Amino acid sequence: MKLLIVDDSSVIRSRIARISNESRLSNLNIIGLAKNGNEAVRICKVMQPDLVTMDLTMPEMDGVSCIAELIGMHPDMNILVISALSDRTTALQALKLGARGFLNKPFSDKQLIDALMEFQGAKE
Amino acid sequence: MADINETDARVFIESVTHYFEQITGHAAEIRTAYLASNKLPQFEYTGLIDFSGQFRGSVYFSATSMMAARMLLAMRESDTSNSNLLDIVGEVANTIAGNARKHFGAGLEISTPTTSFGNRVALTSPTRARPFAIELQWQQSEAVVVVDLENNI
Repeated sequence: MKLLIVDDSSVIRSRIARISNESRLSNLNIIGLAKNGNEAVRICKVMQPDLVTMDLTMPEMDGVSCIAELIGMHPDMNILVISALSDRTTALQALKLGARGFLNKPFSDKQLIDALMEFQGAKE
Repeated sequence: MADINETDARVFIESVTHYFEQITGHAAEIRTAYLASNKLPQFEYTGLIDFSGQFRGSVYFSATSMMAARMLLAMRESDTSNSNLLDIVGEVANTIAGNARKHFGAGLEISTPTTSFGNRVALTSPTRARPFAIELQWQQSEAVVVVDLENNI
């Protein structure tokens, strides 16, 4: 499973990568790290990830715009939103645009692994 | 213009204690919460979020270098460089502000974080006459959350 991590915080990008690498999820391969939506779109034009973890509040291009763009390019792409925006409206908006899951920040290691496993289970 | 009340301020207290518990497994201890009157409390590393939409103002999380470094280590991040210390305080501010939308709704629009190091005053022109200050301690190190929020409606 090819994973792209999108978050404007370098600490969070590293944390998601570290937990993912340690998770023992089979065939999980991090193909890129992006600090905003523009970088994510550029990466997805070159290689198609199976799963994208997507922050929402980011400079240049935010997560909501990025989800719309990525789903436009690859309608079957799995997008897991990982965001601090914890209101119902935002979650519904992201899901309506095509995101397949929503994990609230702050998250524990186990919560992230469980969320990733859902996607791996769906892919297998 | 309606003022936010004690219940609203409690949202930020619960959010910051939850952050520490979730990320590190150890809850932060709230030492005191009060209406600040003169100089706003601040430490070396500060992350600030501006509010807009149906609200206006800001929230900042400011921590000693020791706390910011210990938070990174608790997250198993060994790189405690200046850029990562700034990154983590910005991320905490972002999370506290984002979580507050569960209470205030999507009308609470939040900016991306701005971060600063040193003595530069984070909040030069507060919206409120007396912003809320929440002082906390975690692993023998200190931080503060300052909430300067007003309803625009």
